[in-house]
Amino acid sequence: MSHETPTLPAERRERHGSRYAQRLRKAGRLPAIVYGHGSDPMSISVDAKETLAHLHHGNHVFNLSVDGGDTETCLVKDLQFGYMGDDVIHVDFARVNLDEKVRVLIHLDFHGTPAAGKKGGFNVVHDLAEIEVECAVRNIPENLRVDLDGFEDIVHVSDLTLPDGVVATTPGETLVIHVQAPVGASDEEEDGEDDAGAETSEG
Amino acid sequence: MPMLPKRTKFRKQQRGKLRGNATRGNYVAYGDFGLQSLEAHWLTARQIEAGRIAAQHFLRRQGKIYIRVFPDKPVSKKPLETRMGKGKAEAEYWAARIKPGTVLYEIAGVNEELAKQAFARIAQKMPVRCRFVGRRLAV
Repeated sequence: MSHETPTLPAERRERHGSRYAQRLRKAGRLPAIVYGHGSDPMSISVDAKETLAHLHHGNHVFNLSVDGGDTETCLVKDLQFGYMGDDVIHVDFARVNLDEKVRVLIHLDFHGTPAAGKKGGFNVVHDLAEIEVECAVRNIPENLRVDLDGFEDIVHVSDLTLPDGVVATTPGETLVIHVQAPVGASDEEEDGEDDAGAETSEG
Repeated sequence: MPMLPKRTKFRKQQRGKLRGNATRGNYVAYGDFGLQSLEAHWLTARQIEAGRIAAQHFLRRQGKIYIRVFPDKPVSKKPLETRMGKGKAEAEYWAARIKPGTVLYEIAGVNEELAKQAFARIAQKMPVRCRFVGRRLAV
């Protein structure tokens, strides 16, 4: 499951504040900070396109080379988003050792359909998109494949097969997916009335 | 039946202003895809319901629709041909305050193509420009 750690060239930021951060973003850079392990925090900027491509791929750990110097192994600790909720505007990197145990969110990659979900009208509802796991930095998986074909109707966190050295910290009884039965006849009538009412009010 | 609060502390509210962008409710939290508002507006309970019905008719009971906004603001309107004065009128309808970035609806359990088509139908019923969004990065 483990993968090669990508190396990101970073530049130190001398000037702080939203105005300078905004200028960096316009120039295709992403403001970031590196902290942890007793060293002083350091404001840096990284290439936005490259960093986001790695993040979308599921990478959590990077080798940061600040101003062409020695590389530091860093874990993405936090992301800040813009007001539209999905554009990354700042990254927090925490210095880590590869053998250090950390807690990270891992994206769940669903495949297949549970047996109950194959019946007509039944819906598979994904209750979780990510789970929190604890593992050594070098063992952080990019994502977790969940094959739903072997399950009947409900999957809990405890049912997931995790790679060696990875422990789920999300409670075992938490629902990952469940199959929703079709709405009953009485509800259908009620819904039909609703719809009719809405249509007349629209017309 | 359009949504409305079960009970309220006060029957009438002042209009207020819709300043700035959404800082809460601005990302997909429950479903796989969402419909995000790009403008500020009052969204009436009837508009919310019209959007829900449009999506539900299209999806034909596939997937699950989440409504992320609730009309908790009473909007009063004076009756026709009424002279000015005599106090504030009774609540006419209920509205949700929408700021740019607010996620209005979410859909889970369907593929992206179907979700896009369902949201296109909802967007037709909305008084604001909207865009399609997915889940954001998690670390």
